[in-house]
Amino acid sequence: MGNLDFISIDFWHILIAMMNLIILAFILKKFLFKPVNDILRKRQEEVDKIYTDADQALKKAEADRAFYEDKMKNAEKEADNLIKAASVRAGERSDEIINNARQEAVHMISRAEDDIALKRKKAVDGMKDDISDMVIDLAGKVVDKEIDQEIHENLIEEAIENLGEK
Amino acid sequence: MSIDISGAKILFELPLGITITETQVNSWIVMIVITLVCIWLTRGLKVRPESKRQVVAEYIVKTVKKLVSDNMSERFGFFAPFIGAALSLSALSSLSGLLTMFPPTADLNTTLGWSLVVFVIITYYKIKTDGMWNYLKGYTKPVFILTPINIIGEIATPLSMAFRHFGNIVSGVVVSALIYSALAAASGVLYGALGLSGTFISDIMVLQIGLPAIFSIYFDVFSGCLQAFIFSMLTMVYVKMGAGVED
Repeated sequence: MGNLDFISIDFWHILIAMMNLIILAFILKKFLFKPVNDILRKRQEEVDKIYTDADQALKKAEADRAFYEDKMKNAEKEADNLIKAASVRAGERSDEIINNARQEAVHMISRAEDDIALKRKKAVDGMKDDISDMVIDLAGKVVDKEIDQEIHENLIEEAIENLGEK
Repeated sequence: MSIDISGAKILFELPLGITITETQVNSWIVMIVITLVCIWLTRGLKVRPESKRQVVAEYIVKTVKKLVSDNMSERFGFFAPFIGAALSLSALSSLSGLLTMFPPTADLNTTLGWSLVVFVIITYYKIKTDGMWNYLKGYTKPVFILTPINIIGEIATPLSMAFRHFGNIVSGVVVSALIYSALAAASGVLYGALGLSGTFISDIMVLQIGLPAIFSIYFDVFSGCLQAFIFSMLTMVYVKMGAGVED
């Protein structure tokens, strides 16, 4: 078969060399660049996703913190309000209790006064009877005369009444 | 003692006068090796890399992409596989000489074919950027008389690329052959001086062991890689200039 000359030009050999280079470029594209680029892009996407996730988590944490801080402030206010309301109610309640007690006392006093008045009346009546009986008896004994008891009784009672009125 | 330096060995012939030589077969072997390496490197890629293979694959892709975006521009990102192909095919073709194969880049047809592909791409971008009319009119600038010079200048681009690559690799082959034959002669002289010529020991070319490897580091490894790099760089620069991309 022999050898080519040291420097030779052959159309087909040039064409084959051109095709070889072009074909190899496509082979490299398909078997090296495309798969590696795909994986690099996927990695980039994953990294981007991690970053956005982290940003979102941070934002959410900030929002939560603000929300709870707000809530804490409100809670203090609410507690204040509660205490105030409770003390107001307690004041009202104590006033009410005091008023009730006062009324009760007034009531009891008036009842006791009524009682005393009644008792005094009873005692006065009793004394009136006793005195009239005694007077009649004494008068009877002194006079020793038959006196119409009934008339005298009335007389004396009248006298005592008048006595008491003076 | 004569030194015989010839081109690629013709292996078989196809109809239409197509001959298949070592150049073509070795090119295909190199291409198959590159393809298999690519498939092996990109097997089982993970978003979170677990294998060294993936790290290597990503490093290669990133390096070539960066080379392209640095020397051309971001919009030529799709050019990376072509540059990768030119780099790997050129470098491995030259380095195949180390395995006693005939390096395809020591055949002018190979480098000429590659530089013609580059020339087609350059011309495509020139026409795309300026329009066909302006492209043709560009040959008559600055004066009509210079048209032949402009045409020569245009053709010089692929020819210089082809001959530069071819010349550098083939010079390595020539120098290697010269060193081998010189060392063989030196071995003969050495055995003659020692009175050992004609014995079985003289069949062992003692000076040829080891020494050529040192030269081979420069002429095959360094020069081969350098020419691959130069060819790729020139491709990027010419295409960028053709497309009128400014930095």
